[in-house]
This record gives sequence, structure tokens and C-alpha cells, in this order.
Amino acid sequence: MRGGGWRQVAAVVALLTSQAAQAEPIPTLPPYSGAYQPQGVDERGLWMLVDENERSFRDSTVVINDAPLKAYIQQIMCRMVGAARCQTVRLYIVRDTSFNASMAPNGMMIVHTGLLLRARDEGELAAVLGHEFAHFELRHTLLGFQQGRKAGDIAAWAGVAGAAAWTYGGRNAYDTVRMARSVQNAAIGSTYAHTRNQERQADLLSMAYLRASAYDPHCFPDVWDRLLDKADATAHGRRQRSKRYDRAGFSDNHPTELERTTTLRRLAMAMNKPGEDGKARYDMALAGWRAQWIDDEIKRNDFEGTDYILRQIAGPDWTPDLLFARAELYRTRGHPHDLAAAVGFYRDVVARDPTHAEAYRGLGLAQLRSHDAAGAEALRTYLTMKPAAEDAAMISMLIQ
Amino acid sequence: MKRTLWLGAILLATAQPALASNTLIAAQAPVAVAKSPMTVTPDREWNKMGARPGRNSESWTIDGDGLNEVTFYGGIEPDRTLFREVNKHSTPLPRFSSTMLLTDIPALFEASYRIALNTPVMKIDTVAPTTFLGHKAVQFAFTYSRVDEEVRRRGDAVAAIIDGKLFMITFDAPDVFYYQRDMAAYRAIVARAVIAR
Repeated sequence: MRGGGWRQVAAVVALLTSQAAQAEPIPTLPPYSGAYQPQGVDERGLWMLVDENERSFRDSTVVINDAPLKAYIQQIMCRMVGAARCQTVRLYIVRDTSFNASMAPNGMMIVHTGLLLRARDEGELAAVLGHEFAHFELRHTLLGFQQGRKAGDIAAWAGVAGAAAWTYGGRNAYDTVRMARSVQNAAIGSTYAHTRNQERQADLLSMAYLRASAYDPHCFPDVWDRLLDKADATAHGRRQRSKRYDRAGFSDNHPTELERTTTLRRLAMAMNKPGEDGKARYDMALAGWRAQWIDDEIKRNDFEGTDYILRQIAGPDWTPDLLFARAELYRTRGHPHDLAAAVGFYRDVVARDPTHAEAYRGLGLAQLRSHDAAGAEALRTYLTMKPAAEDAAMISMLIQ
Repeated sequence: MKRTLWLGAILLATAQPALASNTLIAAQAPVAVAKSPMTVTPDREWNKMGARPGRNSESWTIDGDGLNEVTFYGGIEPDRTLFREVNKHSTPLPRFSSTMLLTDIPALFEASYRIALNTPVMKIDTVAPTTFLGHKAVQFAFTYSRVDEEVRRRGDAVAAIIDGKLFMITFDAPDVFYYQRDMAAYRAIVARAVIAR
């Protein structure tokens, strides 16, 4: 009878969990009160730490302090989470090629240029920023810290119990030590599981912001889809295994991207809400920045990953600037076939924009490296167009 | 027991290079560097650091490696990185190729620094032709900052490709004080560098 009772409880728990997993309701937006002050010793301590970080971070060399760019990204944030919420955000744009953003418990939001480069439109960026804001609104850092401390206490006390059993022996000492180990593992695992759950909650709340915003909710799964494709391109280029279908491991703090894409796609379809993506505005606002961010990306030595990003940005219409970036990427890797491809791209650039001096430079260097004497002619054209170029003396030496 | 002793001896022998200490380099005496045919004659005393950045390289300093550092690259072979990989799986370093033009060397150096130090704040400031070890060469200046520190660092380098291998000497130091002060000592090393035929 006792065993039967446990089975009933287990069945109820299983039913509840499966229902929760199936339903995954997008939450209604909780009421928001601005000017929140930290409560309790844990939260006040956490804020003190991140306030100190923010003070030193503000003057960092990696932060891009461009008022129009910051204002534009802040506008996207406001369109996404609403005027009241976005007032809390202090935005820092960081020159970093990784696809990332984060928000600290005190309202400091960090957005990497890698995310700005790889998001295709406002909607995709808004979805990711919304996710980070959701972590902030749900006070996940605090809860994660408290959960980690609780799990740490349990693991430590289980260790004490195990050590005591080992020291004082007794008939069941071995079983006690094993159980203590299991408890420790479970406690540590629960911390990672907790973090994965926080990610799911933040995804759902970000969907709730999307529902209330002007943006198309499909932007969210789209951005994850392309993140997976880019990771595959990088892995392929480095002859590594794709991790697309890997399951979340014991110590993973995020659910897998595939799981997120699938869930978010289902939620977006169920929402069935039309919306804008703001692509035209996004392209216009970032036009002056993309060349530098692409250059940063090219210098990361991730040929296929970068080529994927360029193809995504270009779509069917390669502008001369994007073609030039692609040519530089191919010339940088410099395999014989890359150089041939680069020459083709450079020629396309100068055909469409005969004033593009840098393209003549690249064309000449790619040809010289392939032992093509025509390279000297292209380099001479470059020097005629830009006689005061920084590297004029160096280029002159190459063609002597 | 005997086996354990042997194992201990092997471990000790293999651990030796990593534990190798710094060595004083005398002024005005020719010394072969980076296990290579390159020989230099410094005009002042330097400290050769025990830890090598890579297979064919070695570093010297006056006050400490973050303050003033001269690195010798003594014949990097094709398909080799400039220095040891930091994370070969997720951020592999670019590799030298003997088909590279001299203008490709600053770009290779820049990408290697950016990846190894994980910093986007790295820039090649000037590139100019020069002669090094009796060959046509490239001389370039650069600035960078490491992540999580606000120190602006400056550097200078000279590189030549000889028989398909890369020979290079670089100098880097904080822009404040050390770069200006020790630039002359670095230039003296470069000026008197020779390669054995």
C-alpha cells in the first residue's frame, strides 16, 4: 500500500510536469514599478558589486560611446519592453565579436557589437534584448545566487555527513557515503537545472514583451535558427562536429539552441500576430558601423563562420562594400583558390565602384601572392588614386 | 618501487623546461636567439625569460614581461602559428604561410594578438619597408590594450621572410614611460641582428 502511494504521487507529478511542458503559457506582463531599490542583504550586496563594476566599465576602451548609436538601440529597447520599463536600462555597447548581451541586476545592459552585426533587423535584436531584460525583471541573478548558496550548503553538509560516516564506520557506512555523494551531485546539478529554467522563463517573458510590442514574434526563433547555422558553418570550417543536436549536459546553463528554436517557433505560430521587423531602419542606422564590425569579425580567423555572416547580411544583393569585405576575408585566408575567388570579388567591386582604391590594393596583393604579374598594375592604380596612403612606401617596394 | 623512481625521474626531466628560470643576457656579447641561426648583440643587459611563447621563439625583458618585452621569432615554419595556441578548439590562431607577402605579416600578427589576448582593441598604426637580416623586410608599429585593463600598450616590429620561414623581432611596452625609454635598446638589438649563412 505504501509503495502504491508513492506511485500515485509520482504519477501526479509526471502529469503536472508534462502539462506544464506542453502548455508553456506566455505570461501576462507583470505590473512594473520603476525606481526599484534592492531589498534585503543579498540583493543590496549584489547591487553594490555590480555598481562598482559599472563604475570601472564606463570608461573602458572596449565601450563604444557613440550617442546616436546608443540612442537608436535604446529606442529599440523601448519599442520592445515599453517606455516605463526601458527607462531603467543603462546601455553599454561593447566592441566584442561574440553574439551576446547581458543585463546586470542594477540595470546595466551590455550589448556586444557581434550581436548588432548578426541580428538581421530590429525585431531580432529586440527579442534578444527582451530576453535579457526579462532576466532583470524576474531578478534572476539574485535568485540564482541564493539557489547556488543553498545548493552549496546542502553539498557541504552532505560532505560532512559522508566524512563522519567514513571516520566512525559502522554497518552502513558505505551506503551513507554513497548517499552523501548522490546528494552532493544532485545539489550541484540542481544549480545548473535552475539556470536552464531561468533561461526558459526569460524566453517566455520576452515573448510576452513581443506580443505587446509592434514587432513580429517570429523574429525570435529566426535569430536562434541563424545562430545554429553560423555555429555549424564555423564547425564545418574547423573540421569539428556540429553540436546542433546535442542534448543539454549536466553542467550546461542554457537549454540547447535547438530546443529554444523549436519552442519559440511553436509559440510564435500560436500567437499568430503580425508585426514589423524594422529592417530598413536597422540597416540605415548601422550602415556606418558595419565595416568596422565586419573587419573585427574577419580578424577572428573563423573563415566559414564569417562568410556565413556576410552572406546573411548581403542576401541576394551584394553591395560593393560587402563584396569588398568578402574579398578581404578570402585574401586573408589565402589558399590558392581563396586568392582566385578574392580576385573575382575585387574585380566586381571596381567594376561597380571604380573609385574604390582599397579594392585595387586588395586585387593587386591577391594577384601578386598568386604570382600574377598583373598585380603590379593594380597596385600602381591604387598608388595613383591614393598617393598619400599609409602603406604607400611598402606597396611601392613590393612592385619594384 | 624502482618503477616509481623511474617515473619520478622522467617527470622531473620533462618538467624541467617549464620550470626553467630567467637568464641574464650580457651587454655587447653576441648571442643566438630562439633556437635559430639568428644572432643579436644587445647594447645593454637583458633578462631572457624561461617560458618561451612558442617553439621557435623566446622573450627578453628588462623590468618584467608586462613592462618591456622583446620577442624573437626565429624562423616560423609554414602552417605554424606565431606562438602557442590559447584555445585551439574554439579560437584557433592563424598560421604563417611561406606564400605570404610582407604586407600580410602585420595582418597575421594583428589577428594572432587579437585572438590570443581576446581583445578587439588592437591596431596596426604604420607599415613601412626596411631591411632586416640583410633581406627586404617590413617594419610596423601597433597599439593595443588587453581585456580588463586600461593600459594602452604600444609596440614595434620588424619581419622578413627568409627561405620560406618568418624571422621577426617585436617590442611591446606600456605607452606611458616604458615604450619611450626602452625603444632605443630594442632598436639597438634589431640593428645588430644577423643571420648565419
